[in-house]
Amino acid sequence: MRHIWAMTRKEFDHIFRDRGTLFLVLFTPTLVLLLMAYALTVDIQHVPIAVLDYDRSQTSLAFIQKITAGQDLDIYAYANSMDDINNLLMRGQIKAAVIIAPGFAADLQALRGLKMQVIIDGTEPNSGNFAVQHISQRAQEFIDAALAGQLRAAGIPLTSLQLPDVRVQTWFNPDLKSRNALIPGLISMVLGFPALSVALTLAHEREHGTLEQLLATPIRRAELLLGKIVPYIAVGLLNVVLIPILAIAWFRISFNGSFPLFFALSALFLFAVLSMGMIVGVFMRTQAAALALSFLVIFFPGFFLTGIFFPLASMPEEMRMESLMLPGTHYAIITRGLFLPGVGLDVLWPHVLALLGLGIVIGAFSLHFVRRALD
Amino acid sequence: MTVSPIIATDHLTRNFKSVRAVDGLTLAIAPGELFGLVGPDGTGKTTVLRLLAGLLSISEGAGTILGHDLRTQTEAIKPHIGYMAQQFSLYAELSVLENLHFFAELFDVSPRDLVGRTERLLAFAGLTEFKARRAAHLSGGMQKKLALACTLIHQPEILLLDEPTTGVDPISRREFWNILTELHIQGTNILVSTPYMDEADRCSRVGLMYAGKLIECDSPQHIRGQLAGDVIEVQPEDWQRALTALSGLPGVREVQTYGESLHLLVDAGQQRLPEVEAALREAGIGYRSVRLAPPRMEEAFISLMRKMEAA
Repeated sequence: MRHIWAMTRKEFDHIFRDRGTLFLVLFTPTLVLLLMAYALTVDIQHVPIAVLDYDRSQTSLAFIQKITAGQDLDIYAYANSMDDINNLLMRGQIKAAVIIAPGFAADLQALRGLKMQVIIDGTEPNSGNFAVQHISQRAQEFIDAALAGQLRAAGIPLTSLQLPDVRVQTWFNPDLKSRNALIPGLISMVLGFPALSVALTLAHEREHGTLEQLLATPIRRAELLLGKIVPYIAVGLLNVVLIPILAIAWFRISFNGSFPLFFALSALFLFAVLSMGMIVGVFMRTQAAALALSFLVIFFPGFFLTGIFFPLASMPEEMRMESLMLPGTHYAIITRGLFLPGVGLDVLWPHVLALLGLGIVIGAFSLHFVRRALD
Repeated sequence: MTVSPIIATDHLTRNFKSVRAVDGLTLAIAPGELFGLVGPDGTGKTTVLRLLAGLLSISEGAGTILGHDLRTQTEAIKPHIGYMAQQFSLYAELSVLENLHFFAELFDVSPRDLVGRTERLLAFAGLTEFKARRAAHLSGGMQKKLALACTLIHQPEILLLDEPTTGVDPISRREFWNILTELHIQGTNILVSTPYMDEADRCSRVGLMYAGKLIECDSPQHIRGQLAGDVIEVQPEDWQRALTALSGLPGVREVQTYGESLHLLVDAGQQRLPEVEAALREAGIGYRSVRLAPPRMEEAFISLMRKMEAA
């Protein structure tokens, strides 16, 4: 116990003596989360488009108004020719163009459908696809309304039409804001920073020969690693408190689960991910190498494989297996469950068990590797 | 009556992948020795010390420290040794005193003993007035002394020091060795590796290592004595020409260069001295001095190395 405490106190001294280190270690996770929440919000709004109206009828005007009502699409320019459209697209000033064919109004009147073309900028497919989806939906509504008007005029009751009646309800995240789903997931990624700190401090000891000195003292390997990890778990847990406060107060995301459970499971996750950091730290001889390896084994998989941005369901089978071997994957599922639907252990237990198992396995590996650090 | 050795190794061998760093080292160090391990760089000195400190596993052979088996009882050995790694750097952001206290806790020094012991060690190492200073702000020599103090905090019976004075200025080196001699007199057993022959001369016994093997193990006097003949020191104007002129002379066994001067190993100094001067004059090479010099460890060592390389 005395050995662990000596290690821990030394490590705290190391963190607290240098203001730069202190600030970085304490607040990086929360700051990065704040940054990413702004930068990575994938809700698309105000996509600039151009319109080329060959019909110039009241109907085409009404249609243009319909597609640009709301926040989704903004008219950047009314074009007079295809050359205009070409220019605007080339300069990247618009992401999509709508070309309304001559006879638009007449065709609608005769129920021959809507003749129009949508051109999108393929260099940014997300905005383009979004525009297409939005315009198609509005066009369908436009046709439906015209059809309904004609049916009414012909005296046919609308109920005899038997259109599918799909009513969508969105639970947990009624505004379908991507941020609401993103932020809880991102926690698992930003808590990789304390793991990076652990990797760097261990690599530092190795680089400077103090690890060799430590191993020559009667301190046990487990005591060494535990003493080393405790301050960074504390730092991680500080962020585990700060982040929900930020999420709730600043981003207005509701936290519906049990906070003590979140705290406890976060501690478990920190143990697992910090153990990964320790493996990196004892593997690499220099801090620079440890930094590079941390990105390779902690941050990149944390970004791509934990399902924060790319759903597990869309991964090929082998990748999904790898994902499930990352503590971050389970922790991301846990945080999302706790934030939005507010579920408890009765639902989350398989992931809690997985996290526990991974923590033990990774911790055991780090112990094994530090034993062989110099050998 | 024989005293049982405090460090004993029997064909101790350690392999790193394809390299045999230590090759069948058999050594017995008796209580009260100040044993110097010397040899060129990359010859296995550090590996020997790491093996003895229980940091590396043994590939072949065996060893004991204070009767504990090096293969199986490293944890029992650690409290009894003070190991100072070659590149020992302290925790730079901790003060002198905090560094000492940190190692005291790892070595289970009781809080009761701690205060008196740290004060004694600080005074001993001449660091009392710097005890609040961060280790980062100490000079290289002071850092080495603090490192030594840290390895002494638990009053180990055996000190294993790996090139403790490499990269330290000459005055600090001398101070450091005065401390080691003092410890030796007080009864601490010391095994120190060094690339410096003048330091080897201060040991009670010296082991010469070459390519992982112990090629010689004796007192400095005996090792010097093995150098049959005398040493003539020449300070020529042009050492390169002098080297060729003197190498082939009768009675000159070996010529070693020392900066711009030459050390000639000859069979009989008094007889060869005038011959050497005559040879220089004949070749038209000016010289500042030609004199008989006492043989030092350095000549003996280089001579032994050359024999090994030739073999």
